[in-house]
Amino acid sequence: MSANKKAPSWAKLHEWFVGKAAMRDNDMANRVEPSGPQSIDLPLSSEPAHPQQASYQTFLENASRTMIRFKKPEHLIKMIVKTIDEQLKVTHTAVLLYKEDKKSYILIDSKGSEGLKIPIGFIRLGIDNPLISVFSEKQSYLISETGILRYEDLIVSLRNREILEKQSDLYDKILLIKRQMDLMKASICVPCYFKRDLLGILVLGEKISGEPFSREEMGFFMTLANNAAMAIANAQLIENLHQKVEEIKGLYLKEHRIFIHTAIALAAAIDARDPYTHGHTERVTNYSLAIARELEGLPEIAAYDNFKETLQIAALLHDIGKIGIPDRVLNKHNRLTPEEYEEIKKHSIIGSTILNPIKELRDVSREIRAHQECYDGSGYPDGLKGTSIPLIARIIGVADAFDAITTNRAYRKERSAEDAVQELKRCSGSQFDPVIVSAFLLAYEKGNILTNGKHKNFVDMDEGY
Amino acid sequence: MSKILVVDDECDICDFVKNFFQERGYEVFTASNGEDAIEVSKREKPGLILLDIKMKGMDGIAALKHLKEIDRKQKIIMVTALADQDKMDEAFRLGACGYITKPLMLDQLENTVERNFGVAI
Repeated sequence: MSANKKAPSWAKLHEWFVGKAAMRDNDMANRVEPSGPQSIDLPLSSEPAHPQQASYQTFLENASRTMIRFKKPEHLIKMIVKTIDEQLKVTHTAVLLYKEDKKSYILIDSKGSEGLKIPIGFIRLGIDNPLISVFSEKQSYLISETGILRYEDLIVSLRNREILEKQSDLYDKILLIKRQMDLMKASICVPCYFKRDLLGILVLGEKISGEPFSREEMGFFMTLANNAAMAIANAQLIENLHQKVEEIKGLYLKEHRIFIHTAIALAAAIDARDPYTHGHTERVTNYSLAIARELEGLPEIAAYDNFKETLQIAALLHDIGKIGIPDRVLNKHNRLTPEEYEEIKKHSIIGSTILNPIKELRDVSREIRAHQECYDGSGYPDGLKGTSIPLIARIIGVADAFDAITTNRAYRKERSAEDAVQELKRCSGSQFDPVIVSAFLLAYEKGNILTNGKHKNFVDMDEGY
Repeated sequence: MSKILVVDDECDICDFVKNFFQERGYEVFTASNGEDAIEVSKREKPGLILLDIKMKGMDGIAALKHLKEIDRKQKIIMVTALADQDKMDEAFRLGACGYITKPLMLDQLENTVERNFGVAI
């Protein structure tokens, strides 16, 4: 390690950046344990070759270790530019990075003690820019064996009589590239590849001393660029991943909304067939939700993948089977004959059969089949008893009964909510699960069972997941 | 010497464009708002004005109107961060002779300016 420590060391920069990152993310996991010697100077001054190479090695090892910790390519690039600017003494340093949304290479950072300082984000190079295509098309005859494009090589080529006389296309191309380098006052351009994609270009002005860049320095730039490419590609992948996740979330929400609204439309279609039950589905859904709120924490709820959603959809679609019941039975004004009653009873099986082919609605289908079961086993279609009747079906059973009592039916007049409550209490333990009835009573006392007027749940039921 | 006036409320950008064209043999003036731009243009009578559309206070469009009222033949190139077609249409209607979009391409910047000086440089 040389004694002359002039500019801030990599380790210091490293500390500074990691400190920033930790502050920003407030994330202890980001903290980096100190690695290796605490101060590593970059001995890029012209000193004997051998000790220098060893230091490059250490420097690069530390650099690559630090790089993968940057979540945003911009921060990494800032550090690289800062380091090169301070350690190498060049007139200016700039980095252009490919931006997918702009389909061009945008200036991400720029520093210049003596040369030009370009405002960040102010310039761009299109993908058809000669300076970009020289790298993206890998026109190796223009690029030195290190992979770096050097201004002086272009000048040599332009002075080459052979090229001027016999390869005028190439000559013109070189002129165009030279012009691009002139515009940015570039002395060398270091490409940054990941796999075969050109991610960016590091642009360096001349050394302030006027000396040409040494072989070691060029090798160092290439290694730095390759390491940086890896880190940038990583950061970009993560960024893309985050974007995709957001997109998928958005899509899911949209699909979900469509799904819920389809269920609502279906429910409305069922209601429309029977003038007496107008709004029935909506009310049953709201009552069911109000009851469910009082059941929070019930262990049975945990058995559902998505209890609230299954409840909403099952409640919305619980009477969908009525679509298969003849009008003469459904809208009959007099008391039903036993045969007609048998006909009506089929609606829970029909509903469940309609939904059964939909894999995502298997749970819902099961609940709909059971919504006319009674706690004491006297219901239909399967005569299930107690808690072998699924929970949601038991909830809908209570909600359904309450609405049936409080609305006009073809065969009888509506009764008051108070009457209906008494009826539910009377049948608690026989027709209805007492737990559900007491949850209903709690909701009723809180004023959450509104027989007319909209509950808020029905309207924004597609939110809050 | 050909005179250029650069109008932008970000002084980094003014400085950069000023250096860029000074090195190419132009005499460059800068202004950071519409009011300054009008004053400098009255005084220096630049051959070309590079005018940023989005500025605090008097924006580029308003400044364009005033500058054109002072000298109908004044050549003005609009610089805009966004491809705002409505603003561009309005600028052209008011007599702007070209536009450059940000982030800009240095070759395009150089070409646009040289073209407007009739390659006399």
